[in-house]
Formats: sequence, C-alpha cells, structure tokens
Amino acid sequence: MSVQDLILNLHRFWAEQGCYLAPTYDLEVGAGTMTPDTFFRVLDKRPWRVGYVQPSRRPDDGRYGENPHRVQKHFQYQVIMKPSPADIQDVYVRSLRSLGVVLEDHDLRFDEDNWESPTIGAWGVGWQVLLDGLEISQFTYFQQCGGIDLSPVPVEITYGLERLEMFLEQKDDIYDLDWSADVTYRDLRFREEKEFSEYNFSVASVVMLRQAFGACQKEAARLIEKDLLLPAYDMCLKCSHNFNLLDSRGAISVTERVKMISQIRALVNDVARRYTAVKEAV
Amino acid sequence: MEFLLELLTEELPASHIRSALGQIEAGFRKELAAARIEIVSLRTLATPRRLIVVADLASGQEDREEVVTGPPLAIAKGPDGALTPAGKGFARSQRVDENLLEAIRTPRGEYLGFKRKAKGTPAAEILKDAVPRILGGLSFPKMMRWAESPFRFSRPIHGLLCVFDGVPVETSFEGFKATDETVGHRIASPGTIKARNFAEYRAELEKSFVVVDPEARKSTILTQIEDALAPLKAKVYPDPELLDDLTLNVEHPLVVFGSFPEAYLSLPLEVLSTAMREGQKLFSVVRDKKQLPHFLGVADAAADGKGLIRKGNERVLRARLEDARFFWDQDRKVPLKERAAGLKNVVFQEKLGSYEDKALRLKKIVSYLCDKLKAAEIKAETIEAAGLCKADLLTQMVKEFSGLQGRMGGLYAKQEGLPAAVHQAIYEHYQPGSLEDASPTSLAGAVLSIADKMDSIVGVLGVGIQVSGSSDPFGLRRNAHGVCKVILDRKLRFSFPLLLDKVLAVYGDRLTVERAAVKASCLEFFEGRLRFMLEKRGSRYDLVAAALGPGLDQVYDVLPRVEALDALKSSPQFEPFILMAKRINNILKGLPAAKVNPDIFVEKEERDLYSMFSIIRDNAQPMIARGDYARAQGITFKIQPVLNTFFDKVLVMAEEKKVRQNRLGLLQSINRMLLGIADYSQVVVEGEKPAKPKAPR
Repeated sequence: MSVQDLILNLHRFWAEQGCYLAPTYDLEVGAGTMTPDTFFRVLDKRPWRVGYVQPSRRPDDGRYGENPHRVQKHFQYQVIMKPSPADIQDVYVRSLRSLGVVLEDHDLRFDEDNWESPTIGAWGVGWQVLLDGLEISQFTYFQQCGGIDLSPVPVEITYGLERLEMFLEQKDDIYDLDWSADVTYRDLRFREEKEFSEYNFSVASVVMLRQAFGACQKEAARLIEKDLLLPAYDMCLKCSHNFNLLDSRGAISVTERVKMISQIRALVNDVARRYTAVKEAV
Repeated sequence: MEFLLELLTEELPASHIRSALGQIEAGFRKELAAARIEIVSLRTLATPRRLIVVADLASGQEDREEVVTGPPLAIAKGPDGALTPAGKGFARSQRVDENLLEAIRTPRGEYLGFKRKAKGTPAAEILKDAVPRILGGLSFPKMMRWAESPFRFSRPIHGLLCVFDGVPVETSFEGFKATDETVGHRIASPGTIKARNFAEYRAELEKSFVVVDPEARKSTILTQIEDALAPLKAKVYPDPELLDDLTLNVEHPLVVFGSFPEAYLSLPLEVLSTAMREGQKLFSVVRDKKQLPHFLGVADAAADGKGLIRKGNERVLRARLEDARFFWDQDRKVPLKERAAGLKNVVFQEKLGSYEDKALRLKKIVSYLCDKLKAAEIKAETIEAAGLCKADLLTQMVKEFSGLQGRMGGLYAKQEGLPAAVHQAIYEHYQPGSLEDASPTSLAGAVLSIADKMDSIVGVLGVGIQVSGSSDPFGLRRNAHGVCKVILDRKLRFSFPLLLDKVLAVYGDRLTVERAAVKASCLEFFEGRLRFMLEKRGSRYDLVAAALGPGLDQVYDVLPRVEALDALKSSPQFEPFILMAKRINNILKGLPAAKVNPDIFVEKEERDLYSMFSIIRDNAQPMIARGDYARAQGITFKIQPVLNTFFDKVLVMAEEKKVRQNRLGLLQSINRMLLGIADYSQVVVEGEKPAKPKAPR
C-alpha cells in the first residue's frame, strides 16, 4: 500500500463515518488542529465531522534529508468528530483494520498522553496510540480551544501518515516510502527537506521574520476589531509560522519565547471569544 | 455474600488507577460501615480498562430490637396494675397486643412500652445508592468531559457490571444500568461475556485474554522475563516503577525479547537505558553489570507468533538509538564551557533570573560550603563544576531526554577530560532525586547538590511562592528532602542558619520577601521535612518532636538525637527521667529567667544537685558539640537520683524570694542543658494521653 493508497483508504473510511472530506488548508500550520476546519468548527454547538490531509510544518525538526524519520514537513490525516461518539475507539480500531493491519498479530496500545497547544489556547485529554511501540496516532478528547471550554466535546484523531506508512511498508527510511506506484517519497520530498532545512536553520532572514511577525500581529488585532475573524485567524497562523522559523533560527531567547507565544494566544483567544459571541447572536 | 463490581472504561493512566483504587476501597468501607453492612472481606483489582471491587458482605443490616415507649407508667396503669384508658390507647395506636406491653426503665423514670424487631435493610438496597455515590465521587489528577455531558472522569465510561449474590444490583451510573455483562480483550477477544460471581468473572475473562488481578499479571511478567533471559544467563536491569506501570498498562501481558545492533553499545549506559525506558517502556538487559544488546518489552497481546511485535519494537528502538547517537556526537563538538555561555538565555525563574545567574550564585555557595566543611582540597573543582553544571540543559540529548540532566553534563565533562571531581560533581548534583535515591558518592557532588537545592528553596520561598498541599510547583519538598538526605548520609556538620544567611546574601536584592521572614519560613519548612523523613524511617512522632526541639543549628544532629532517644526509650530509667524533665518544665513554665548563685544555697541537697549538674554539664558539653548525643544523653540521665532527692527534700517555691529565685535559677540551668539534647517535654509516656501529632507540612 502506497502513501496515496493510505490516504484514499482513510478518506473512504471516514467518509463512511459521515465525515466531510476537506481540502488541505492553504497556509503553513504546525498541526492539522490549527486549520479553520478544526479550530472554528469545534467552538460552536453544532455537530461536525471532518477528515483531511494537512501538511504540518515544524521547521525545528528539519534534518537536511539525512535523518531516516525526522522531517521539517510531514503529513497528518486529521479527523474531528463532534460530539465524540461513544464507540469512537472501536471505530478507530476498525480504521486500522481497514488498512489491512491484522491487529491480532500486533500490540496496539492507548498510552496516556495529554495534548496541548499553548499557541492556540487548546488542550485535551487522551492517548498516543502505539503499534508495536511506534506512535501512529494522537487520540484526543478536546477540552478547550481558543481558551474556551468546548461543549459538546469533539474527539480529534491525528494519524501520522509517514509513521503509519513506514509501519505498513515495513521500511526503516522515510525516503524509501512509495507515494504512488512509481513515485517515491525521496522523489517528492528529499530536495525540499534539504533546502528548507538550510533555510530554516541558517538562511531565513531574522529581520524579515521579526517584521513579518509584528506586521501580522498588528493586522490580526485590526481585523479582530472589524469582526473579520477568519482573516484575523489567518494572520495568527502566519504569526505562529514566523515564530517557529525564528525559533529554528535560534533567534528567540527563552523569555521572549514565552512572551511571543502568549501574544499569539491572546489574539487567538480574542478571535475565539468573538466568534462564539457572534455565532450565538446570529 | 459476594459483591462484584467492574467499571469498564477507556484506557486509564496507571497513576489514575492507583489513585482510584484507594478511593474506591475507602469509599465502600465508609459507606458500608455507615449503613451497618458488615464487610467480611473487600479488595480491589484493576486493568487499564477496568476498576474492580470484590467483597464478601453480610446479606443486609442485622435485625434490630427497637424499644417503643408510651406514657409514664403512673399514668398508663392504675393502682391495681390494670391498663388505664391512656395505656389502652397507646396499645391501640401502636397496634400492639396488650400482653406484650411492659415497664420500660429510662433515666427519666418508668414508662409503658414494648420491644419490637426492626427488619434490617438488605445490602442490595444499600448498594443501590452507595455505588453511584462512590463512583461519582472519584477524583483524578486530570479530569475530562466527553460527548455532551458535563460529567468529569478520568476517561470515558463504557459499562457497569455490578452483581450482589449472583443478581445485578438495581442501580446505574452515568446512564449505564448495572448488568452482569462485560467484554473481553479489546483486540484478542472483544465479545460480551456474562459473570454472576467473581470466580466466573475471572475465569471467563481469562478465556478472553484479560487477567484481572494485577499481582497475577506482575508475576506472569516476571516469570516470562526469567524464562527469556535464562539461556543468556543475563538479568533485567531492575526497575520496579516501570514494572508497576506496565502491570497497569496491559490486560494480557506478553513479554517480548528483542535485540539492537551491538554498535550502539558504544553509547553511555545512561543514554541506552533512558532511550529504552522513557521512549518505549523497555527493560534493559545486563550481564555482570554490562549492558547487552537486548531489551525486554511487555506487550498487551495474546501471542507474538509471527514475531511482528518484536520486530516492530526493534525498529522503533533502532531509530531512537540512532537519534541518541546523533545527539551524542553533535553535543560533544561544543565544550561545556562554551555552551554555558548560552545559559543567560534560559530562565530559571522569572524573578530569580537566568541559569547563568544561578550558576554564578552556586559558585559562591559551594565556595562557602567547602570552607565550612574544611574541604579545601576539592574547592577549586567544586567551583568549576558549579559553573558548568547547568550547561547540559542546552544539549540536544537533554532536550530529548530531560531525565538525563546533570548526568549528561557529567558524561560530557568526562569526555572533555575535565578532572574527576568536576565531572563527578556535575554528574551527581541532581542526586538524590527522591528519598529512595542514593546521595552523591563524591564530596564535591554532595556540596554542589546541597548548594543547588538550597539556592532553589531560598529563591522560590524568597519571591513569595508558597508550598501547600498539592501545590509545590518547583518541587521544593523533594529539594529539601535531598538536602537533608545528603547531610544525614554523609554526616555533614555545618551551621544551617548561617548557610541560609549566606544564600540570602548571595541573592542580594533579588528576593521580594524580607530576609528574616524567608529565613524563618525556610527553617520551618526544613523542620517539617525532617519530621516527615524521620517518622518515615520509623521513629516515634513524639521522639522526633523531642529531637527537633533543640532546633536546626546543625541539621545533621537531629538524627543522632532521635537515635539516642530511640535507643533509650525502652530502658527502665527512661520514663522516670522523662517525668522528671516534664516536672521541671512545668515548674518553670511562664517564669522569668533567674540566676543561680552557688554561694547562697541553704540545703545540702541543692548544693549536691548543683555540683552534680556542673560535673554533668562540663562532661556533656563537648559531647553535644561534636554531636555525640547518645553519650551526652547517657550522662545527663545520671542527674536523676540527685534530682529526686532534691525534689523530696527541698521546697522549690520557698518563702524567701532570694532562696526561691536561686532554686528556680538552678532548675533553669538544668533545663537549658537538657534542651540542648532534646525537648523531653514532647515525649509521651505511658498513662499520658498522646498529644495529636503535628501534621507534616
């Protein structure tokens, strides 16, 4: 099974569970959780089911294409089910079986792991799912997002596609994975990893990034005032990515780090507060 | 009759299970005692998905005899003994046969009345209400909501099996009606099973690949480990905590033996075992204290017939070790000294500055301590170690495996060729991490360990952060235990209050709380921690309180003081001596200080007492000074006969003021000497009502 077969399988499986299959969001994000299809949709009271592939950028994880399992951009398959269905663990287990995994031959574990993202004021309770010791998914009952207590509670399942694929193909090197029958992960990603690692760690302009951070922060605040909350949130995402780049450039001291994260969070929390207030008014 | 309860949930964290089982047992004991249901036996069991109670209970409350009283006998019966209309009316209203009426004696006089049996409530009725109350009252370190309910628990709930005497109890919890059904292992046998009693429950689940008794799972793990390692003549590196956690992480333990390429054995042992333990919860395998290229894991599976679980774990571990090797190679390219320069960007605590500031303070504190401990030979090395000890916080290895902080710095320092005292001190300076953990083996390590912890305690208390109940964000209790343990283990004697002064002085004006107040709260904090530690060692709380009485000038001395008391507590002289010490204490209570003048003694007995006291004091003082409390206490006991005679023959509260003051002065001197050894008034002797022990802070 290739990476694209894996994606097709997951799409079919979750579509059958009533998920809307969202297109990938077109901004840099650190995790599938951060896109509007999760962030805004978990805030209100309406039921919501969505599944999508999201490239996740973590500049600090770049290894110049030299590490067999760490990359500065990887792909997540993100599922949100709201409210969390009572049998969601069983559904998840079935999704693995649907990929052809004979679970009776393996050790599947739900291992305590509580997820949080201070940047978007979100946290949840759940597990990392381990298959023979390999973390293949994060399984989280979302408790808070944008600083707001979520009710109903959504469940978020995030599959690490490369991890899962390495398990399915029994391969030790991420670059040896097959994306499709005749395109490998190396063909698609190796040069990108090399160049972006160089950019993230050594070349990105700290001055430009700082200015961009400041400009997006200002713009977000201005847009919040005008109740243009989706564009405002986009600006927060840009802040977050600029921040991650500055961090991987080693340009941020620990104190400054805390300060910048809380600046982004304050904006995101404002967006969430206004969004729920406006929704209720409508 | 047998009671069986299983709350089926999604996978609970091991720490939550431990906490829940304690609460559940206490909850049932309390509820059932209050409801007068006798408990013959009660125990709790668990798997990651099940909280289980098995109990043998009485079928219900005992039937009770009730006494019903009516009008006073004088009104209810006439002079002839026959019932009056009032008496008859009482019988009618109570629907009781007149022949059953009798005279009931009460403190207020005799009344007409009768006795009747009150039927006890069946246990099932009591359980009906008690079960949801107990389960609903459970609290967990971190709680969550799910779906659309506001209810909070550790993880979502999936079912309630609850049977008493073979019949489901008519109860429910959070929408789950109690049944006699549950399910088997999530993967190996997920079907429904029925159980009306514990024997059936355990057997059926066993067939469904669930072992409900944690002890049984643990012994399975141990046996399988032994079997796997027997051919290698190797041993698993003992890790009881990991074993306990794994026991609570699986329903059906399966030990998996695997290997990794020998090339990784060039990594330090610390790194290998941490990569195995922290990342994947694997045990390391050793032979003759040498790491072998193998590991043992505990899977939750029926079997690994195709070896896929082993292979999977091997692959994951290989990737981790490859990372670790990368970090090890990269980190060593930058000397610690160069790395330490980056500490100015790492915040120790907002108000207390960076780790660079901390390192500068540590240099001053260790220098002071080396002087006080007359350890000039290690002073230069300890100061060097103090400057470098936090540098490993900036290494990739420690960023990945934070549990290696300190040890990693020590290993890198050794690689750099720094002197043994320096790398050892860095390596050991977080030790001991707990009361069970070993203290540093080197003196330099001990000094740096104390300095680091004292800096944290004084600093954190000094910016007004309080330690209370469950709130101890900087782990100050653990730090204080560490300081005390190092001092006690290594018998380090130095003035503790002066060390506090030094640390306060080193902080200068960074602290927001006034110095005297910080010092007082530190002393109080340490007194509480020492009390906790010594009681935990098994000393009686009152002897600990007595040993703490003379104060903390020398932290170490509290130990020989309590040991001296422990040694003497069963001697026949002990109790009379304590009573005498208490007598002196009582006489002197609230009186102003008086002076003793040997020239104005009147009676022979007071002169005898004074000269005996002088001899004892002169002998005891050097013993106290060098911390030999066993002998100091032994010798002070010798004052007893003279003191006895004194109390028999001499009236302390003499008419004449001068004589009286002189005698009180003598007793005060004796009391002062005793208080230098222990506060004997804290000791509880037979026949006294024990004072409530102070709650440990």
